Amino acid sequence: MYFSHSPVAPYATKPESAMPTKVQLHLAKVFLKIFLRDRQSIFFSLFFPIIFMSVFSFVNRSGVDTINIGVISEATDSSAIEFIQELIDNPIFSVTLGLEDRLRPQLEKGEQTLVIIIPKGFDTSSERTTLRVLVDAAQVQQLGLILPVLEQSLVEIERELRDIEPMFNLMIEDVKARSQNYMDFLLPGLIAITLMQLSIAGSGFNIVEFRRKGILKRLFVTPIEPKDFITSIVMARMTIVLVQLSVLIAYALFVLNVKIVGSLAGFYLIIIVGTFIFLCLGFCLGSIAKTQQAVMAIGNIVIFPQIFLSGVFYPIESMPEFIQPIAYVLPLSFISTGMREIAISGASLIDITPSLIGIAVWFVLSFVLATRLFVWKEVAS
Amino acid sequence: MMKYDLPKTSFMAIIEVQNLYKYYLCPDKKGETFAAVDGISLTIDKGEIFGILGPNGAGKTTTLEMLEGLTDIDSGSAMIDGIDVQSHPYKVKEIIGVQLQANEYFDNLSISELLTLFGNLYGKKIDPENLLEKVNLVDKAKAKPDSLSGGQKQRFSIACALVNQPKVLFLDEPTTGLDPQAKRNLWALVLNLNSAGMTIVLTTHNMDEAESLCQRIAIMDHGKIVAEDTPQNLILKHAPEPPLAPLHGNIEDVFLALTGRALRD
Repeated sequence: MYFSHSPVAPYATKPESAMPTKVQLHLAKVFLKIFLRDRQSIFFSLFFPIIFMSVFSFVNRSGVDTINIGVISEATDSSAIEFIQELIDNPIFSVTLGLEDRLRPQLEKGEQTLVIIIPKGFDTSSERTTLRVLVDAAQVQQLGLILPVLEQSLVEIERELRDIEPMFNLMIEDVKARSQNYMDFLLPGLIAITLMQLSIAGSGFNIVEFRRKGILKRLFVTPIEPKDFITSIVMARMTIVLVQLSVLIAYALFVLNVKIVGSLAGFYLIIIVGTFIFLCLGFCLGSIAKTQQAVMAIGNIVIFPQIFLSGVFYPIESMPEFIQPIAYVLPLSFISTGMREIAISGASLIDITPSLIGIAVWFVLSFVLATRLFVWKEVAS
Repeated sequence: MMKYDLPKTSFMAIIEVQNLYKYYLCPDKKGETFAAVDGISLTIDKGEIFGILGPNGAGKTTTLEMLEGLTDIDSGSAMIDGIDVQSHPYKVKEIIGVQLQANEYFDNLSISELLTLFGNLYGKKIDPENLLEKVNLVDKAKAKPDSLSGGQKQRFSIACALVNQPKVLFLDEPTTGLDPQAKRNLWALVLNLNSAGMTIVLTTHNMDEAESLCQRIAIMDHGKIVAEDTPQNLILKHAPEPPLAPLHGNIEDVFLALTGRALRD
């Protein structure tokens, strides 16, 4: 008979183990299924980071282009040719030789960034020679980059002409045997931001929604324990976040040609621990905030300052001094800095010990806070 | 106040509640508390359908939630099938089935998937179809809870509460908001479950429901039980006119006589 009553089981507690239990696995699978059927949120959680990365990458591409300069040479002697050769050899410049009536309109149209006019008697006269540089005021922000190179070339030519030994010899060694651009700098930070948002939304926002619907209360009258519920949410969200981030990383690596120099395993280790930290902080949020509006508001207080203060877009050293001590200890700072050092400098885990210590402290802190705040009875009702 | 000399323990008792108290902070007076449940004692027998009636705010839901382990018991004791609710809440949860007032579930899961999930929460493999058949929802197996009507939702909630083959089923206002057909249909389901031996404890505002479904009724007001007996006895004792025929008046008369006519929020 269906409703036959089994005798009361003895009051024994199940043996504890580190492996997830059957209930936890099943619940995690259910959470995954719920997520996979929510096509819209999958789309938007991937769409925005991809658009964001693509736009940054595009802006960045046009930035690394060589600078077009026009050279009008009124002198024909060897030192003028040498100077021009120097400019041509410099990878920063793309040199067009020509006459003023052709190059000036090009400058006005923006095809040339600047035009250098080398006067007659560039080397013979002992008097000072004046190079005229025509610039378009709209392009002036790049002068800061160009003028030092020009000056350096001129100094070298001057030395050769006057036959003096240079007092200092500057040797520039490129330790990073690869081209690095802003997108390489940005990617780890963008991944860290995405990780933070996905995780906080995954635990915090979901808990508030489950409570509003009375689901937490309903689960609470079944024999599952809070740790079963938390473990399964963490497992499901960890899987979701890892897959989503892998899609983004693959897009960055293969479509945008961003490079990750260091070990991918180390990179992922930080992602996993970081996800755990923000899931825990999400549980804290979900426990404190009682309504969907409140969790959104508090969530933004947690998320937005970190986006701008964690050195994702520009280094923390360049921020106002009073804010730096705070900026350095934000969880996202440690995570994005650690990931960036691995990605762009090829740092090993030992090299990034300071970041790892910060991450470990936040790991413990967020976990303790989450378990303290997530009181089943209070969170459920 | 009426007092009844019910035996404190009975051989057949499955729920025994003694001097249960629950205090909450006063919403209007800061720092003060009031007793939402004010020292109630109850004995519910095995195989009984027991109804708890009372105006809004009388403490019905709080009482149920304390028995279900959802709310802490401030003082007093509650035993279900010989298990102390306070010291072994998880053991109690194994043997009770609960239908709450709020009936929303996870999005994007069909009701048959939800039943499988609930089965798993008890560590049980269940046959969703078998359960859906009991509550007359087999043809809705693939539907999402959102698409169910009010009556279907309540029947589905009961199906969820049955996954662990509970000894005691708690129903919190199961027919509130249902049309007469859905209400009768749910009564039939409750009677059917009861005839298979299940003890059922329900709260209700519906006097018909209490009268035609429950074998015994407790009427609560201001956190106290003001009367407890079979519907017939309550009518005999409390219906306003002295009865000429054995059953004059109804439970609504009893209810109003005991709890007054003042409006409750």
